[in-house]
Amino acid sequence: MTRNEYIARQRQAHGRLSLAVLPVHYPKELLTALDVLAVELWGPPGPPRGDGAGRLQSYVCALARNALAFLAAGKAEAVDGVLFPHTCDTIQGLAALARELGGFGKAIFTFLHPKGPPRPSARAYLEAELRALAGELERFTGRALRPERLRAAMRLHREIDRRRALLLDERRRVALSDSALYELLRRGEWLWPEDHLAELRAAAGALAPTPVQEGVPLLATGYVPEPAGLFGALEEAGAYLAADDYAAVGRRLSRPREDRGDEGDPLRLLAEAYFDAPPCPTRSADSRGRMRYLEGLLERSGSRGVLVHVQKFCEPELFDLPALRSTFAARGVPLLVLEGELEAKLPAPAVTRIEAFVEMLTAGRGA
Amino acid sequence: MILRRARYELQGRLGGRLLAAFEGWLARRRHSRRRPGPFGPPLESSRKLKELMSVHYFEGRYADGAVPVAWVTSGFPVEVLRPLGFHAVYPENHAALCGVQRLVPALSDAAEREGYPRDLCSYARTDLGSLCSGRTPVGRLPRPDLLACCTNICQTVLYWYRALSARLGVPLVLLDTPYVYGSTKPHHLRYVQDQLEELVRVAERISGRRTDPEALLATAGKAKEGTELWGECLAAGRHCPAPWTAIDGFFHMAPIVSLRGTDACNAYYRMLRDELLDRARRGVGGLREEKYRLLWDNLPIWFAVRELSTLFAARGFNFVCASYTEAWAEAGARIDLADPLGSLSAAYTHVLLNEDLEHRRTLLGRLARDYQVEGAVLHSDRSCKPYSIGQVDLRERLARDLGLRVLLLEADHSDPRAYTAEAGETRLTAFMESFG
Repeated sequence: MTRNEYIARQRQAHGRLSLAVLPVHYPKELLTALDVLAVELWGPPGPPRGDGAGRLQSYVCALARNALAFLAAGKAEAVDGVLFPHTCDTIQGLAALARELGGFGKAIFTFLHPKGPPRPSARAYLEAELRALAGELERFTGRALRPERLRAAMRLHREIDRRRALLLDERRRVALSDSALYELLRRGEWLWPEDHLAELRAAAGALAPTPVQEGVPLLATGYVPEPAGLFGALEEAGAYLAADDYAAVGRRLSRPREDRGDEGDPLRLLAEAYFDAPPCPTRSADSRGRMRYLEGLLERSGSRGVLVHVQKFCEPELFDLPALRSTFAARGVPLLVLEGELEAKLPAPAVTRIEAFVEMLTAGRGA
Repeated sequence: MILRRARYELQGRLGGRLLAAFEGWLARRRHSRRRPGPFGPPLESSRKLKELMSVHYFEGRYADGAVPVAWVTSGFPVEVLRPLGFHAVYPENHAALCGVQRLVPALSDAAEREGYPRDLCSYARTDLGSLCSGRTPVGRLPRPDLLACCTNICQTVLYWYRALSARLGVPLVLLDTPYVYGSTKPHHLRYVQDQLEELVRVAERISGRRTDPEALLATAGKAKEGTELWGECLAAGRHCPAPWTAIDGFFHMAPIVSLRGTDACNAYYRMLRDELLDRARRGVGGLREEKYRLLWDNLPIWFAVRELSTLFAARGFNFVCASYTEAWAEAGARIDLADPLGSLSAAYTHVLLNEDLEHRRTLLGRLARDYQVEGAVLHSDRSCKPYSIGQVDLRERLARDLGLRVLLLEADHSDPRAYTAEAGETRLTAFMESFG
């Protein structure tokens, strides 16, 4: 079933409205509680198509160029609106462009999450911003946000995140290829949460009692694992992704603190949970904190190399490159930087670089 | 500490002025040998500008250890730091200076060797490269005690200052200003004010002083007056012929960026305004012959500013206004001395690059009408995405709604490696030919 067919079926069977959502961080629980289907728009990959393709300059990231061309070409007709989180200057500008100067003619929402450390001002603001968005979505859907519905949605997403985290944390014991695992995880970008949870439950059977992955374990950090051909190239080279810090995947897993309870105003709890998520440069965590987090991921996963998979012109990621290089160089861990432009296929030079990198990691190790 | 303070004061008052006087003498010698070009007589105020900025940078060499030093983004409300005795350094202004002096490739190379990719903002690369290599055209920049960053101009400054903070081990205070789509929401302004109050406490701890409300009020008042005076200088460009060019304006905006909220800044703009109005009365133009009036959008191309302005001036084209210089005249109206922190929050949230495209289109339309322009050059700046995103649509709207001739020129504000001079010149020449 295509995404458009799925969106149509959700509307027919459940009366659900749907929103296209630009990357990265947004309160999905709020959408679920109001019975709104989130369909994330990471590009799509490949060259931008249609009349809107030239509306953003070539030095703007491919994700934004493709998304604008996609929306302007009417390819998102199946959804009822678009939500633009405050990820970076580009997506912020894209929201302004789509809204004011022609393009996508449907409802537009913004979610301006705070940047920087979890200061009291940021906590109070985030709660107010969530309330404001909730109010706009209530008007959009014609439904009232009931606290018990929001609590149930938060429980549902915690369960989803717990199961996704298990698959990523125990990657060595998961009897799935990277391609299969990431296809499963990324279906969560557009499936209704309960449907995604059902697939995750079914995948629990792939968890073996002992390690089954035999390739060279790698830690991947970056924006989005596109093109999907990356996984095939890694497998061919004899490696697999043992730890994930992709903004689209592992970096969005909520891992609530042990002392977080369920009591109290759910919107306040939702705001608090935002600050528990792993560090992400699009939310401007401090660089040293992020490096410590990645070192922890590396150690826990037993990864032998680091794959930094960035999108060209993506400033939040690119500014951390020197820190990434020096952090892992200090530990003697090899690092490969792959820069992409959301191509439909992994370019041949990238395949060669992956092969050489994995070959270098396996030399003398008998792996 | 006392000795350092004395040296800082002495160098600012005496050493900087002596150096500025010597540089002024050299400049006059150069000017006397210069052949007449397409430009009108130079502004007398330029000498004072040179002196003012030389003293500022010279003083800065002796600031660390004498007074608290803050490195500050151009859009940060410096009004809260001045009453605490901070010497404010503007890395963006420093990077622009490096751009004019064509030092960016070498400085950027130093940053790139550290792993910063060339696709990052060239201002950031320039300053990070300057830090890594120790090279600067201003002698030395004082080491900061505080990094103060406001995201109202872009998010890039946050990543850049975060890198500075990690490298220098210096605290970073952030003013995160939610982007304005249409109008601000009350909780957005509350957030900005809450942060302002939080960061003032950090700045007080670092400076070892408490904020004197009277001093804050006085500084806010000076900043308000300064932006208004700057606005009056810009408005002089409405006269035909315009008594100066927007290219002059790019250089003369340095005090409103770097010395906002000081007496020296305001005294300078009073002098400049009076000179411009006097030139306008006497019919003295920025060009010898002004045939066509143009608008510039986005940052200047610092490394080619002389070549490009001469190319246009030689054909009688004068840039009489620019959205970039205008942006620095907008904030003052919102500063309310009855509520300094609240109104500073509103003023610094409503800056050009933190407002949506409709605001920008309205501003460009107003400038086009008020300054009677016939065409516009939109600098599509590789290093400034917030300014450049939407320009393709703006080009269509300005042409369709206002009947302007509009050219989109792709370049970079300070990295010459991102600009092909020959191709650019050909496009610009063809653009000018279209005026007949």
